[in-house]
Amino acid sequence: MTPNAALANGDKAPVLSVNGLNVDARLATGDVSVLCDISIDVAKGEILGVIGESGSGLTVLSRAIMNWLPSPLQATKGEVNFRGSNLLKVSAAEMRRLRGKEIAYIGSDSSTALNPTVPIGKHLVSKLRSVLPQYSEQQARQRIMELFDAVRIPSPRARFNEFPFQFSGGMMQRVMIVDALCTDPALLVADNITQPLDVTVAEQIVRLLRDLRDDFGTSVVFSSASLPVAAEISERLLVLQNGRVLEETTPQDIVSSPKTDYTKTLTARVPRIWSVDHTPPRSVVMKPILSVRNATKAYFTKDPKTYFGKQTVEAVRGVSFDVLEGENLGIVGESGCGKSTLSRLLSWVEQPDTGDIFFDGKSISKMSNRELKALRSQFQLILQDPYTCLPGHKTVGEIISEPLRIHRIGSVSKQRDRVREVMQEVGLPAGSDLNLPYQLSASQRQRVNIARAMVLNPRLLILDETLSSLDQVEQARLLDLFEDLQKRHKYTYIFISHDLALVRRACSRVLVMYLGRVVEMAENEKLFFDPQHPYSRALLSAMPTLEKNRFDAEECLLEGEPPSPVNIQPGCSFRTRCPHAMEICGKIDPTPETHGLSHVECHLVHEREMVQELDRQSMRRHDP
Amino acid sequence: MAFVLTFLLRRLSQGIVIVLLVGFVIFSLLRIVPGDPVRIMVGPMATEEQVEQIAEELGLRDPLPVQFGRYLSDLARGDLGNSFIKATSGASVAGGRDDGSAARAQVLDLIVAAIPFSALLAGLGVLLALIFSIPLGIAAGLYPNGWIGRATFAISSVFVSLPNIWLGILLILIISVQLGWLPAIGYKGVAYAVLPAIVLAVELSAVIVRALASSVAATMQENFVQAGIVRGLTMRHMITHHVLRNSAIPMLNLFGAQLGGLLLGSLFVVEYIFNYPGLGLLTVNAVFQRDFPVIQGVAILTTAVLVLINILVDLISAGIDRRLQY
Repeated sequence: MTPNAALANGDKAPVLSVNGLNVDARLATGDVSVLCDISIDVAKGEILGVIGESGSGLTVLSRAIMNWLPSPLQATKGEVNFRGSNLLKVSAAEMRRLRGKEIAYIGSDSSTALNPTVPIGKHLVSKLRSVLPQYSEQQARQRIMELFDAVRIPSPRARFNEFPFQFSGGMMQRVMIVDALCTDPALLVADNITQPLDVTVAEQIVRLLRDLRDDFGTSVVFSSASLPVAAEISERLLVLQNGRVLEETTPQDIVSSPKTDYTKTLTARVPRIWSVDHTPPRSVVMKPILSVRNATKAYFTKDPKTYFGKQTVEAVRGVSFDVLEGENLGIVGESGCGKSTLSRLLSWVEQPDTGDIFFDGKSISKMSNRELKALRSQFQLILQDPYTCLPGHKTVGEIISEPLRIHRIGSVSKQRDRVREVMQEVGLPAGSDLNLPYQLSASQRQRVNIARAMVLNPRLLILDETLSSLDQVEQARLLDLFEDLQKRHKYTYIFISHDLALVRRACSRVLVMYLGRVVEMAENEKLFFDPQHPYSRALLSAMPTLEKNRFDAEECLLEGEPPSPVNIQPGCSFRTRCPHAMEICGKIDPTPETHGLSHVECHLVHEREMVQELDRQSMRRHDP
Repeated sequence: MAFVLTFLLRRLSQGIVIVLLVGFVIFSLLRIVPGDPVRIMVGPMATEEQVEQIAEELGLRDPLPVQFGRYLSDLARGDLGNSFIKATSGASVAGGRDDGSAARAQVLDLIVAAIPFSALLAGLGVLLALIFSIPLGIAAGLYPNGWIGRATFAISSVFVSLPNIWLGILLILIISVQLGWLPAIGYKGVAYAVLPAIVLAVELSAVIVRALASSVAATMQENFVQAGIVRGLTMRHMITHHVLRNSAIPMLNLFGAQLGGLLLGSLFVVEYIFNYPGLGLLTVNAVFQRDFPVIQGVAILTTAVLVLINILVDLISAGIDRRLQY
C-alpha cells in the first residue's frame, strides 16, 4: 500500500502499527532477545504512553520505530508499519525521506543533540530546508521563529542566534520539539524526554506537548521511565517489562485495576505524597548541631561582552537556618538554586564569602586547621555520583579505612576490624573488601560511600543527591538503611535533593531554595499540605503523582524558568515569576527578622500576618 | 568585539613577558657556555690585551644584567646589534682579518635577508603536508577501521620514524644526483626549495594525519552526528557542516602548540643539509661561530612568531567554538 492509499482509508487507519516485532542483540556468544513480540497501534492524533524500568527495552523500541537500531541490535521478526509501509523494509532513500519529515524523534539527552559550535537557529533552518527544500532561507527563519513563540521560548529573536550551551535543559527540549514539529510530521517518537528535567520544567514540557498535539494532530509515542508522567499525558498506556508488552491499559485503569502483579508493584512504588502518613524522626533535644548564619557565596566568571568585565554568579545569598540534633532536614530546589553550593559550604569544602557556620555552637571559620581536621570526623558529606566518588585503583577495604588512617585511629588490625564492622552495617557482602569499585553495582558503590563516611562515627551526614542516581527499589532500600543507622547511632541527616517525594518520606523539616535563598522553611506536614510561598506551591503542583494533586497546576504552575543567578536585581528574587507580585516586591527583599525553625520569605505572607496581628490587637482593644 | 580586544590585550602583554623571559635565558646561557667569541673574532694570533680591549669595546666584560639592559634598550629602538663575525659584504670577518667594527653586518639585515628564503621553504613544506594529510586524515577519521584508516596509520608511523637528516641525504642522492630531476644544494631559484620542502612535509604530515584522523573519528562519535541523521539531515551534510568544523579546533591547536616548534626545528636541520640560505643556516653557523647577537636575534624573533601564531590560533578557535570565550 502506498502512503496515499493509506490516507485514502481515512483517519481510522492507525498511523503507526507495529506487529510482532522482535529485536535481538547479535552477540558473539549468541543472540539475546531484547524485544519480543511487540504489537502496538497508534491512531491519528493519539498519544500512546509506554512505560518501563531501565532495561525494559523502552529506548530500543523507540529506536526500532525510527529504524535506527545500533549494532549489534537487529530486528529479526515482525513489521513496523507507518501509514502502511513497513519501515524495516523500505529503501534507505525512502527512510531518509521519512525521517525528520513524516516521523520525528526526540531523545532524552537534548544537551548533546545539536553541535555546540553552531547557533541554534542555523541548526533548525538547515534541518527544515534539508527536509522541505521548497522553503527559502527567509521562510524557514520565519517558520522557526513562529514555532519558538508557540513553544514559549522567551525573546525568540535573540535566542535564535545563541548557541546550544547557552540553553538550559528545559529550553533545549523546547528547541528539539520545534525541530521535530517544524515539518508537521504525522508521528512523533518522544523517548524519555522529561527524564533529565526538573519537575516544574518537565510538567511544562508535558503540557506543551499535549497542547501541540491538539493543534497539529500529531500522533505521539511517549516512552517514559516515570509512570505518573506517562499517565498524565497519554490516552493509552503500555507496560513494558523485559522486552515484552505486559499490559495494555489506560491511565485510569492502571491505578484502579492493575491486571498484573508487576504493574501492581510498579504503581505501588510510585511515592504517595498526601494520602499516606509519614513520621520522620524529629529532634528530641531541640538543640542545634549545625547553624548557618547569613552565609553567602559568589563566583566570578569572565564576561565576553565587556572589556575586562566579570560576571558575578551569586550562588548562595544570605542563608540562615539551624539543623537540630537527631532530625532529618531536607533542602529542596531546582537546578541552579544553589543547593550544591550550600552543601559545599555546610561540609566546609568551600568557605562562605560572608556569614558563618557553627558546629555545636563553635564557629568553624575561627578554627585552626588542626581543630578543623579533628572536627571533620564529626560531619561527613556523601555525594551523588557513585562512579566518580571512589578511586578506581584502590580496594574497597582501603577506601573505607582511609579516613581512619588520615585521623590515625587505632592499629592496623583494629582498623581492619572497624572496616569489617561498618561494611556489615551498610550491607556490603563479607569479603568484598578486596574488590575494586568497578566490580560493584551502583548501589553497592553508594554503600561504600556511606561506609566511608560512617567509619569515623560522625554525628552529622550531609547527603547531596545521594540517592538520585539509583532506581526506586534501591532508593527505598537505602532509605531503610539510613533509618536503621539513625536509630542505632543517633545520626542527624541533611538530605539535599530535587526529589520532593523523597523529602516527604524522609525529612522532618524542609527548606525550599530559590535563586540562592531559602524562600520557605517549614515542618514536613505544613509544607506539603499548607505551603505559604507561591514557589513552594508551584513545585508541589508540578509533582508527578498518581493521586490527585492537592495543588492544581493550572493555577499554581509557573511558566518559564528561574532567572540567571548573574546580576540579580534588588527586591524579591521570585517576583519576576510570581503571580501575586506587588509594588513592594520590586523594592524590598522580604527577609525574615528572626531565625526560628520555620519562616517564609514573602511580602504577601508577611502582610497577611501583619493584618492578622492588627486584627487581633483591635479585637483585644474592643473586647472589654 | 569586546572579547577580541580584551583577548588581544591580555595575550599580547603575556606574550611580551614570554619573549623577554626567553630572551634573557638565551642571553645568559650564551654567556655561560664555553668558547670566547672575541678569541674567534680576533684569531689565534692576537694578544691577551687585544682580546681584552675588544671585549671591553663590545661591552662583554660588563655584568650580565647591564649587558641585557643595554641589549633591551637597543632592541626597543629596533636595533638587534651587529654580528660579531659577518661583514656587511657577507664575507666572514673573523680570524684577525678585522677591518673595523663598522663593516660588521647588522643582525636585523641578516635576518631580514634570510626570512624570504625560509618563508618560501616553510610555506611550501606546510602546503605539501596539508595537500597530503587533509584528504587522508579525514578519510582515515571517517573509516578508522577500514583499509584506509589502517593504511594511513601505517604511513604516518613510517613517516614519523624517518630521520630528516637521513631522508634529506637520500633524496639528494636519488633525485638530484642520480636522476638529476631537481637541484639540491644552495639556492638559485624556486626549484631549489622543492626537495627540502618534501623533507619538511614528510615530517609534518606524520603528525597532522594522525591528529586529524583522531579528531575526526572522535567528532563522529558525538551524539549530535547520529541525532542529525535521525532529524532528517544527510550524512554528507553532517560531515561537511559539523564534523569538519569541530575537528578544525584540535587541528588549529596542534598548529599553534606543536607544529610551529616542529617546523622551526626541522627548518634548521633541513636548511643545513641542503645548504639553503635561510634563517636556519644563518643560526646554525652563528652557533658554531659563537655569534651571540645573531643567535639572540633569531631566538627572540622566532619566540615572538610562535607567540603570535598561538594567539591567532586561540582567537580563531574561540571564533569557531564560542564556549572558549567563557
